[in-house]
Amino acid sequence: MMLDINKIREDFTFLRSGRIYLDSTATSLTPEPVLKKVLEYYREYRANVGRGIYNTAQTATSAYENARAEVAKLINAKPEEIIFVRNTTEATNLVANGLKFQEGEKIVTTILEHHSNYIVWLRVKNTKKLELSVVQSDREGHLSPSDFAAHIDRRTKLVAVTHTSNVLGVRPPIKEIVKLAHEQGSLVLVDGAQSVPHTKVDVKELGCDFLAFSGHKMCGPTGVGALYIKEDLQASVEPLCIGGGSIDDVGIDYYRLRGGPNKYEAGTPPIAEAIGMGAAATYLMNIGMDNIEDHERKLTRRMLQGLANIEGISLYGPKDAEKRAGIISFNLKGMNPHDVAVALDTTSGVMVRSGHHCALPLHKHVLNAPNGSVRASVYLYNNYDDVDVFLDTLAEISKTLM
Amino acid sequence: MKTLYDYYRLFPHTDCGYCGSTSCLTMLRRYCLGKSDLNSCIYFKSGELPSPKISYSPPHLKEPPTEKISYIRPCPSEPTKVTIEVNVLPQTHSPYGYFDMITADSIFDRQIPNLKISPSLGIVRIESEAGDVMVFSEGKVIIRRGADEKRAFWEISRAVRLLWATVNRKIRAESAH
Repeated sequence: MMLDINKIREDFTFLRSGRIYLDSTATSLTPEPVLKKVLEYYREYRANVGRGIYNTAQTATSAYENARAEVAKLINAKPEEIIFVRNTTEATNLVANGLKFQEGEKIVTTILEHHSNYIVWLRVKNTKKLELSVVQSDREGHLSPSDFAAHIDRRTKLVAVTHTSNVLGVRPPIKEIVKLAHEQGSLVLVDGAQSVPHTKVDVKELGCDFLAFSGHKMCGPTGVGALYIKEDLQASVEPLCIGGGSIDDVGIDYYRLRGGPNKYEAGTPPIAEAIGMGAAATYLMNIGMDNIEDHERKLTRRMLQGLANIEGISLYGPKDAEKRAGIISFNLKGMNPHDVAVALDTTSGVMVRSGHHCALPLHKHVLNAPNGSVRASVYLYNNYDDVDVFLDTLAEISKTLM
Repeated sequence: MKTLYDYYRLFPHTDCGYCGSTSCLTMLRRYCLGKSDLNSCIYFKSGELPSPKISYSPPHLKEPPTEKISYIRPCPSEPTKVTIEVNVLPQTHSPYGYFDMITADSIFDRQIPNLKISPSLGIVRIESEAGDVMVFSEGKVIIRRGADEKRAFWEISRAVRLLWATVNRKIRAESAH
């Protein structure tokens, strides 16, 4: 099915000014139906959740739990397996601090990772005296199951790996990695920040134990994200914070935590934001994740073809649109990525990210680009015109300023 | 009607993009360079706009420009270095431009090393050891990787003085009102 892009674009008031937003990897735009749901909570039924007995409090609790169910549906999980957190970063920190590591155990991660799925493991390695093993990729960012097989062994407690690289758009073979890890008795945490918003993700099919993702990258509000924890693991993962809302009973010298997601959601949660994230999940599912992925692939193909014709360009990652998501990083010869980004913005209103995109090890050791790169990324609301204006301006920059 | 900015005033300023350029001003700059055809503009084609007679005369000003600092920050990728943005035209809401980069191109004609001009985009880029400067036609000047604040401001002033002869005098007079 083809997406009705013009209709979708009408939902995003941000686009009405004619700006061209190609930085959805950093954060996505928010459509009107999601904003409406958020405001509806503040305007119509604002009350705390899971506490009051009066009718409005019940309405708020139902809306909050319904949002959890919608987010669960998006990744084919049970609602009880979804924990609302602030963002993907808080989710990885929760797992790093909540798992009971023993001295000498091993964590396996990769060179592709975002700092949020990297430095948390460096820290826990030092505090708990663990070993951290980093799987290296080839120049294009490809990782094969055999690369992991060499690192995962009986001592490996956790494999922490991205589902989609936020720089190269490549997708490591999660299913195979999970199989290898489970054979050795290891758990697998998948960083889904760049996959859940853009492609159909099914935790049952992937088989992973944890999946972390953010609301703000999937058309939802900022300040809310989700961590999927496989149901039977929840007893063995400690919460990051405890307090109001997370207990069954408290006495003078004891406390007993509740079961299920409530255990992890101490204090008043970001209620409006969670409701917004639920609405965003519904919005994406109504459009269809497969349709979104198809649309992004078309734009990516156009972008890759156009970039290949620009002189002086270093394009990172696979050249084939089938092998990557709609995240494209590059450099123009002799130009600082920030200068390219400013020129695109000032002359054509094209917004792209520049710098190291929170992935310094990748830029330094794989891409050999210590100054970072320019990154353009697409989402469901982008169209061919966006891509063409971006390419035209970039071609002009390359011809005249490089 | 003398300069391309005079002509630009007659435009509807829609930046519709039908001509293939990213904005009306970019299209006009390209036209002046012989790189685009006015007939690609749907407004021109419909007869709403007169045929242009554009010419250039390098303008000059009596008083120096005032620099308004937008920000001074550590460089995002190199925190020991400084990035500064200034606007030489305060309240720079004028879409017509301040520096005329077509004039700049005709004056410098790539004779200064480490200086690159994009007349079509309206950008001058100057590389130096003390930092890399980008000057935009609307009056924005950005320096990146400035060695320190003092040297960074020196580089900014140097770039502005260099482009002094290209200042779009008429726009400046208008904005003074």
